[in-house]
Parts: sequence; structure tokens; C-alpha cells
Amino acid sequence: MNNQTRTNQVLLLASLAFLALAAGFHFNLWGRPAPRPDIPLVDPMFTSNTTWRTSYAELIRAKADLSDFDCYACHERHKPPPMHFDTNNILIVPKEHSDIVMHHGTHNRNNLCFNCHDENNLELFQTRDGRQLKLSESTPLCGSCHGPTYRDWEAGAHGRTSGYWNRDLGPITRLDCVSCHNPHSPKNFSRPPAPGPHPLRPVRTIAAEHHNPV
Amino acid sequence: MSCNCNSNKPGCCHSSEQGVSRRNFLRTSAVLASGLAALAASLSPLMEMEDVPSAEKFLQKYYKELTPEEMAKVLKRIENEVERQYGIRPHVRDLKPMDGVEFVYCLNLTRCIGCRKCVHACVKENNQSRNPEIQYIRVLKMPHGTFDMEKGDHNYAPESVPEKGFFYMPVQCQQCKNPPCVKVCPVHATWTDSDGITVIDYDWCIGCRYCEAACPYWARHFNFTKPNIPKDKLNPEMAYLGNRPRRQGVMEKCHFCVQRTRAGKYPACLEVCPVGARKFGNILDPNSEVSYILRTKRVFMQLKEELGTSPRFFYYFDV
Repeated sequence: MNNQTRTNQVLLLASLAFLALAAGFHFNLWGRPAPRPDIPLVDPMFTSNTTWRTSYAELIRAKADLSDFDCYACHERHKPPPMHFDTNNILIVPKEHSDIVMHHGTHNRNNLCFNCHDENNLELFQTRDGRQLKLSESTPLCGSCHGPTYRDWEAGAHGRTSGYWNRDLGPITRLDCVSCHNPHSPKNFSRPPAPGPHPLRPVRTIAAEHHNPV
Repeated sequence: MSCNCNSNKPGCCHSSEQGVSRRNFLRTSAVLASGLAALAASLSPLMEMEDVPSAEKFLQKYYKELTPEEMAKVLKRIENEVERQYGIRPHVRDLKPMDGVEFVYCLNLTRCIGCRKCVHACVKENNQSRNPEIQYIRVLKMPHGTFDMEKGDHNYAPESVPEKGFFYMPVQCQQCKNPPCVKVCPVHATWTDSDGITVIDYDWCIGCRYCEAACPYWARHFNFTKPNIPKDKLNPEMAYLGNRPRRQGVMEKCHFCVQRTRAGKYPACLEVCPVGARKFGNILDPNSEVSYILRTKRVFMQLKEELGTSPRFFYYFDV
């Protein structure tokens, strides 16, 4: 067998191999990765910085409609509104205020409207130590009972402080207690969670036995 | 068609003795041509390759050796690249750490409700890939009474959070004082700056993923594919070491939003937290919130303290 024939045979073999590879790529024999399933873009609600509520002070700043806070549109001046209780001594919320859920403190220990509101002037709050505060100044009112939390809030450790950590470079925004807490039911923070991760492969989920070892 | 050299047929194999015959020449060149064509066809997947680095990018110097003028050129190049790719002219800056600043993050486990808003605000701020997903923050749902992270669950999806009997622990880059990821990097593409942020130069990273293996917090993420960001979701306020779009084959991780924090702002995950569980600031400033928290709160741990990584990320409880 001379050299040239061998060269030709090698070349022929090589070109056949390349042709086979080309055909393989063309017909996608190895299976290029299938397109990934779509992941829906997250609801903008979950990336929004807005708080869950809007405080009265924020409504004033935003020049919003304040007619809901006009107590004397219905109530009569200089006449403390009556409170009614059921047989278990639980406050009956009048039907005009049916949007209010009274759940401030456990065991109904704090179910009197006039623990916070001033019964002689419904457009004011009164603290237990006798101060009278405007509706937009509710934070010191909360602080008159919740001392440690108020102290933390003043130090910036309770509640969100947003804006600039470096006060020389820009302002910060502080929130009022009622920007997040419903004053009549302050503890309820239950919300739907944002979607979890979408891994490329199915993941091991934490089985029930982890929580209740057999 | 094959040539059998044992035969004595005329015209076959005799040519080698008398130079190149026409038949042999044609056969050889036909085989060669088809072989080259086949080679080209088999290499065709290479033709689909995008963003082949420009000479400018290829010859770029190491980040710490760049002069301000060279840096300006690099930023211009990045702005051009992003504009070509996403159709938005971004504002890319190279922000240096401030003097007298060391960042610390505090996270209040009493407050966190596991709503995952921080996860998605982070993705939005830092131009992370949406599909496949890269997320810097992972929220673990943990049963009360343990810190065994094996019992944590990433994939909870109840109607509403928080669930009774569980607490939620978001984990992201802990910005360690003794970072294992920096030690293993063979090309010094990642380092800790003087303000405590461990940063990555995406142009210097070779994608070996050693740091991913070294990190005990699963904080580092690898771009296995070209990041997929919808054009209208791109955040144009960028930093070189921060949220500029990454390419395929590089690592990325939480960098405390350097494009925000080195400009004096709070990070995006803090800004979106609906319960104020996240606190960030300068630990060298005695009046900062984080100083107050570390002084007065039950700061119970740095995550995986026993590994000696000394994170700048603290978990604490109220009261």
C-alpha cells in the first residue's frame, strides 16, 4: 500500500466523519437543550416600596380627600358619643364604623374608643398622661404606651427608614406607626408571599418528617 | 471507488511513480473540499456565538491598575455595549469606597414575615437574569426552635405569610471579614474593599466557580447562560463593580447595592421591606442605626459563626 492511497483513505474517512458530525448538528441528534419554560415576571406589587397603609399625616401631605376624617359631619360637637358593650363586656362597634376591627391588645383589654380618642373633641387624641395631640401626630400617642418600641423607632431601629444612610448626602424618610399598623388592629401583618425561586431542575422539598421526626 | 493496490490495473496506483495523475488529483481535491465543507458545517455552532469580546475589552487592564482616564474609557465602552444590547443609554459609574465607612447589615428575625419582597426588589435593582433566575437573596422558612439550616425550606408557597410555628431567615452574601471566596480566586477578580463590600470585576472573572464552591452561604451565582433581562426592566443607574449587565460565564453576588450605598443611599432590599426588618449603615458611626442595634439588641449570631468567616451581616431579635 503506497503513501498516497493511505492519505486518500484517511482523508476520505475524516471527511465522512465530519459529514456525519454536520448531519448530526443539522438534525440535532444530540438534542440541544430544550428552551426553558417561561417564568412569569413578578407582579410589580412585590417590588413596590409603598407601605400597606397611609397615615393621616401622609394623606395631608399628598393632599388627598380627607372627608373620612371629618368626625363632626355625623357626630355632634360637645356631646361624647355613647359606647355600647355586649354581655361579655366587649365593645359593639357601631354599624357606621363597621370597617373598624377592634383588636388592639389581647383579651379585649384595650377596647375603649376613648383610651386614645378624645371624647370631648373627636378631632384630637388624648394620651393617658393628659396630652392632647392632633390626628396627624399619632406617633407620640402610640409612644405614650409602647415605650421601648417608641425608643427604638426614634433611634431608627423600629420600622423602615428609607432614603440616605449618609445624612450628609440626602434626606431620610421616616414612617408613622400607622403607615404600617392599623391602630385598631395593629398586629395583623398576614400577606401573600411573592413567588419563590424557579429552579432549573426539580428540587428536594422538605418533607413532613423533618418537622415531626419519627 | 476505493483503490485496491494489490491489483495491477492500469491507471491505479501507478501515478505515484510518474507524478500526479489527473484522476488522483481530482479525487484528492474532491475529498479535501468535501472534508473542509464538512468541517465548517460541524463547527457551525460556533457561528451562533454572540458577544465575542472586542480587542479593547480583551486588552483591558486589571481594575486596580486602571488610571482614571482608562477607567473613563472603560465606562464609555460599557455604556456603548449596554446601549447596543438593550437600547437604553445607561449611566455607569465607578464608585470608590468612602473613607471612614464600614458597612454592616442587621436583620431582625422577629419582624421578618417571609414575604420575599426583598428578593424581587433586588432582582429589579441589580439587573439579574429573569430566566434562568438568579436571585441574590434566599428566604429560608425555618421551624421554631432550631437554627439547623438543613430544616430550612426555600420553596414555601402558602396562601399568606407568616405561618404559625415558623420564622423566616433571608440569606444573602454576608460580606465576610475573612472571605473564603476571595482566598480561592485564582485571578484576583474578587476582593474586599475598605468599606467591607466584597466585589467582583466581571471583566476579570474567568468563571472557574471556585468561589461558588468556597462560599458557605450559597451567596455566589454563576451565569450559565446569557442573562435574560427584558429591555424595559433594565435599571439604567449602574456601577462598574455593581449592577451592570453581566455576560455569560461570570460569577455574581450581592454587593450591598454598591451603586446605591456608595452614593449614600440604602440598599434596595431595605427600601422595599414592608416590616422594617432590614437595617443597614456605617458601623464606624456611633449614631447609626446599626451601631444602636449592635449595642442594645439581642444580636444572637452571625450565620455559621463557627466557620470563622466573620460576616458583616448580623441577625438579631427584638427585646
